[in-house]
Amino acid sequence: MLVIRRHPGQSLRIGEEIEIEVIESGPNRVKLGIRAPKSIPVVRSEVRLTRAENLAAARSLDAVRPEELAAVLGASRP
Amino acid sequence: MTFATSHFGTITVDAGAVIEFPEGLPGFEDRRRFLPLNHPGGTGLIFLQSLELPELCFLAVPVQALRPEYRVAMSAEDLELLGLAEDRPPELSAEINALAILSLVEGEPPTANLRSPVVIRIATRRAVQAIRPDDRYGLREPLLAEDAEAVCL
Repeated sequence: MLVIRRHPGQSLRIGEEIEIEVIESGPNRVKLGIRAPKSIPVVRSEVRLTRAENLAAARSLDAVRPEELAAVLGASRP
Repeated sequence: MTFATSHFGTITVDAGAVIEFPEGLPGFEDRRRFLPLNHPGGTGLIFLQSLELPELCFLAVPVQALRPEYRVAMSAEDLELLGLAEDRPPELSAEINALAILSLVEGEPPTANLRSPVVIRIATRRAVQAIRPDDRYGLREPLLAEDAEAVCL
């Protein structure tokens, strides 16, 4: 992984179209500004993981019919 | 008002029971209105039925049912979406509910998303899927806590 040190107010570019600016830096988090074309989605990594999990979870009722849930979950519920 | 669902047929929608996600859920950003339905078997399960997409229905369970010690942790942005004070996490109560979305895959044990629970503010019927800023819980947790299993063994 490429590591670059930046001060607040400084920025960096990825290719011609993406610019990332460090707006503010605190003791345990930084505030970033991102300028990118609309065609490039910018999402926090954890949102991406939650998105994938939601897409999988949305198929749960295709895997198990509502009337079978009690039996399926009963075995693994506290 | 009624709504034709894929899994439950046509259901009657009590407008006061509808919960609204101002920003949808990741992967379903355009789906804002859901109706929580209790599983009739007294299992504590809750169906989160979309009122915009007939086939979209999540299966969920209150986080405390899985992890009695569970405490909510939310980002400032998510607290603001629910109109809650940004300087402290809300306590689970009759006012604030948190539901873990379950994932069932045939042939695999069911898992619960305790990393990003659906947090509902009952008074306003607003909800957000709040991704925890910490990594205390995962996206695919077994329904039974690991330490609880150890006791059983």
